Amino acid sequence: MNHKRKKINRIKVIVSAGVALLLVLIALFASVIAPNDPYATSASAIRSAPSGEFLFGTDNLGRCVFSRVLYGARTTIAATFILVAISFILGSFIGVLSGYYGGILDEIMMRIADIMLAFPQMVVAIAVAGILGGGLSSAMIALGITMWTGFARLARSHTFAIKNCPYVQAAKLAGKSGPAIMMAHILPNIIAPLLTNALTQIGTTMIGISGLSFLGLGVVPPTAEWGSMINESRAYIQIAPWAVLYPAIATIVTIIVFNYLGDCVMEYRDED
Amino acid sequence: MPDSDIILEGKNLNKSYVDKGKKLQALKDVSFFLKNGEILGIVGESGSGKSTLLRHVSCLEKPDSGNLYYKGTEYTGKSPAFAGAFLQMIFQDAQMSFDPRMKMKKAVVEATKGCGHEKLSRILEAVGLDESLLEKKAGSMSGGQCQRMSIARALCSDAGILLCDEATSALDVTTQAQVVALLQQLREKEGVSIIFVSHDIALVSMLCDRIMVMKNGECVEEGETGRVLGNPQHEYTKELLDNLIE
Amino acid sequence: MDTILRISNLSAGYGDENVINDISFEVEAGKRVCIVGESGSGKSTLLKAIHGFGGVTVTNGSIETPKDILLGVVPQNPGGSFNPIRTYKAQIMEALKSNNIDFKIDEVEKTLRILGLNDAKRALASRPYELSGGMNQRMAIATTMLLEPGILLCDEVTSALDVKTAGMVVEQLLEINKLKGTTILMVTHHLGIASKMADYIGIMKNGRMLEYGPAKEILENPQNDYTKNLLKAVPRLKVS
Repeated sequence: MNHKRKKINRIKVIVSAGVALLLVLIALFASVIAPNDPYATSASAIRSAPSGEFLFGTDNLGRCVFSRVLYGARTTIAATFILVAISFILGSFIGVLSGYYGGILDEIMMRIADIMLAFPQMVVAIAVAGILGGGLSSAMIALGITMWTGFARLARSHTFAIKNCPYVQAAKLAGKSGPAIMMAHILPNIIAPLLTNALTQIGTTMIGISGLSFLGLGVVPPTAEWGSMINESRAYIQIAPWAVLYPAIATIVTIIVFNYLGDCVMEYRDED
Repeated sequence: MPDSDIILEGKNLNKSYVDKGKKLQALKDVSFFLKNGEILGIVGESGSGKSTLLRHVSCLEKPDSGNLYYKGTEYTGKSPAFAGAFLQMIFQDAQMSFDPRMKMKKAVVEATKGCGHEKLSRILEAVGLDESLLEKKAGSMSGGQCQRMSIARALCSDAGILLCDEATSALDVTTQAQVVALLQQLREKEGVSIIFVSHDIALVSMLCDRIMVMKNGECVEEGETGRVLGNPQHEYTKELLDNLIE
Repeated sequence: MDTILRISNLSAGYGDENVINDISFEVEAGKRVCIVGESGSGKSTLLKAIHGFGGVTVTNGSIETPKDILLGVVPQNPGGSFNPIRTYKAQIMEALKSNNIDFKIDEVEKTLRILGLNDAKRALASRPYELSGGMNQRMAIATTMLLEPGILLCDEVTSALDVKTAGMVVEQLLEINKLKGTTILMVTHHLGIASKMADYIGIMKNGRMLEYGPAKEILENPQNDYTKNLLKAVPRLKVS
């Protein structure tokens, strides 16, 4: 019975990873797939409905929504991956250090993390992005400020559990240094749960980036980004609903896919 | 002037922890010595401080006060790496004594800074393990095999002292008997000195030359095994003997 | 004497794989039986097959008990079977109620006293997380005993306890057997405990019952080589 469930879980992971990979590939090859220039305006084709030429219709400036959604995927997905990767590396590094050495370093790090956690992520992000001014990089910094704490806490608690294991003590007695033990014995043993957590963070981060762009705190027009596309076109939603609908669908589908992938991997790992 | 026969000595070791605002004295003025080639047994119930003592002797923790000597030279406050040159620990959880992701070969050789192949095979033979096990990870070995392997690892590092922390308690009785026989044999043939910490007073009585009884972080009685068990002086030792289920 | 448990040609395991094979033995009412084996011998699987919890499937053979008796189970780790933050009183009342037994404070106190919990009021007012492992283990035995089981099935009940507490729990189980005549079937890896409390001993290895018989015979005159080895491996106090 357990065996069967494990098999089903594996299939779930493979399928959702496949779909996620497809989305990433689409983002990577946006320039190849896109039928039109996403920035080319056309006075003759303003707000035209979806057709053979413009699959998802056009927006207020006559730009091809389909091409913009594809290019937007590149912006959103790339920004998300970079942000999650940086927070993951930084957070894990800090977490492992404070978990392993403990003491005053640990106290300081974790108090900072606590302060960060006390505010809702989006509120901090809006405040920071507001101070830094617009732009994708300031949106990423704004989200990253709270995000690393999650990774740091997780890495710390796993390190804490492992550092008292006999094999770590044996390594100490064998004369290995702290950094060597962390690299050889601690990190490889905690990397799996940390990566799983990173995977589950992708969905939320995507919402964060799109959300900030929607509020005008992220990507600056005319760069194609889903959140800002929704924001721009919601003014004429009654006339050209497709201009809002397609980027919105793209956002929702991508978030669902990555969240589902994260959940599946988590479930699969819990089975062992 | 220290006795020349004494290889390891601890004097007046104290350690306390603060837990939820309460001070807990884990070691109270504990002194001990280990002679060359001797097996010293430390018995006591859980929480008696016997494992804490080993962690201090091996420098994995630092005492609040007190001194540790190896062959008359003080090593209090040194790093575990320093102590690792002359003593090694054998842990209760044999499986977790090895990185679950590492093959035995890597784990053993790495820990011993490139112990030569010839020496390694000789030691593996001494602990009764087949060389093919070096290709395995801890998860696919039995508890007894893991424990033999961790003894092998300790021997490879040239440490002459083994600190066994409940090293056989998690093993089946028949496996335990084999590991205990191995320890005895290592003492005879390799001249290894051993501190054997256990809650099993019967086991200690069979293996050890001298016994130290610990309770609540204190050493309540110490002496030759026959004397301590045959003619216990302290109430607690008597109580332990009374509670023995044979 | 009546037979209270008859196991014939029992094979059982998890999924398609049999863990125990072709096991047969009988237990007379009121006796104390210990099944001894090392890890992987299948002794816990046997116990699970008897009480029916724990996902063990019986593939062959039978387990017979009289219809009207209840099987009481004491697990190795009692923590899992109690809610850590509810008082024992509430939990015991609930357990009794679901078995249609009235909560009689005298009866409860008497049972707790047999188990060395003299301050019954305090024990009942306490919650599992507040008590030590040994105390919780005794509360678990007491709760099970209040359900008036015909057989008390114990899974390594002493192995998580320190020596002194383990000895006390064994004494108390003997007391229960003497006062109430409850049949006890205990699974353990500890031959010493078996020799202290059992009338009958079974020795298991690799899913098979190698030997089963009166304790004295098994301990003093074992027939099987493995049993002999096992007996030899048990540490014995050596004075002088």
